[in-house]
Amino acid sequence: MKRSIYIIQSGLILAIFGFTLINFTFRDDDKVKDFKLKNVDGSYVSLSDYPDAKGFIIIFTCNHCPFAKLYPARLNELNLKYKKLGIPLLAISSTDTIVYEEDTYVKMVEKSNKESFNFPYLYDGQQIVAKNFKAQKTPHAYVIWKEKGQWTIKYQGAIDDNGAEPEKVENNYISMAIDQLLNNKEVKIKETKSIGCQIRFRK
Amino acid sequence: MKLKIFAVVFLFHHVAFSQNISIIKFETLQQRITSNPDTVYVVNFFASWCAPCIKEIPEFLKYADENKAQKVRVIFVSLDFKKSMSESLLPLIKKLNINQTVYLLDEPDANDWINKIDNAWSGVIPATLILHNSSDYRRFTTESLTYSLLKKFAK
Repeated sequence: MKRSIYIIQSGLILAIFGFTLINFTFRDDDKVKDFKLKNVDGSYVSLSDYPDAKGFIIIFTCNHCPFAKLYPARLNELNLKYKKLGIPLLAISSTDTIVYEEDTYVKMVEKSNKESFNFPYLYDGQQIVAKNFKAQKTPHAYVIWKEKGQWTIKYQGAIDDNGAEPEKVENNYISMAIDQLLNNKEVKIKETKSIGCQIRFRK
Repeated sequence: MKLKIFAVVFLFHHVAFSQNISIIKFETLQQRITSNPDTVYVVNFFASWCAPCIKEIPEFLKYADENKAQKVRVIFVSLDFKKSMSESLLPLIKKLNINQTVYLLDEPDANDWINKIDNAWSGVIPATLILHNSSDYRRFTTESLTYSLLKKFAK
């Protein structure tokens, strides 16, 4: 009797969690449009400002989110490493500044100075770019690549696999994707999931 | 004497809270939310730093309280950082008087387990999973829940 209960239970567990074996397919609409957003230095930044770029690291982030707060040093490192290889990093803040006062443009300028960001920190007040990328949370990272003249999403998700303890990171998802692209290989891990703060889209 | 009684009450109070929270791995969570097929599990993923999460917690507590005679279990799964548990999570549990089970999920890479809750989940919180295993009912949502929505979803 006990055994049969056990079998039923494992069956249930399988029924509930078994679907995870199915790989999620990458969406077809993996192309993104260029944009023009205001940087913390007052200038405007577009992808087309970088005619020699092979790709970009795009990070949707913000000031207020505790998960985003774990990453400034790592973002500086990524940009330091990849900008010279033709893959600059752009950080974009798309949070609703009415809900989160900490995310206003003025506070972004302060944050960028305080953390000595070596990359543009762009204000997406209209949330248009976040919608175009279908960014859902902060941080939400993307690697885009120029393919037949179009910007194509090659990786999206987490920056790496350990937010709270950088010394324990085993998979630098962004670096892994870029290194594969630079070697003309297919990106192995195209999408990862991570906890983050929701980007609430104003209706 | 008065002081002594106070000290004892305080101690019990503290024990009662610490009993309700345990640090677990995802595998254990899976077992806990499938252990009794007849039970409706309402599993809420939250963190003490997540404002919209905190806002909906009282709705879950009300729902749990109204259904305490039923086979209903409300389980809170905290995604707080382990190291900030005592300064942020425990005070929140106390402040909101969370008298239901609270687990702190000790999994640094969410990519390992998020899809096992729901494939469509990007990782934003709050998120809630409602399960009734014996009838194969499952509902996952990242919308902000209210008492009446909970009642509707968990029926």
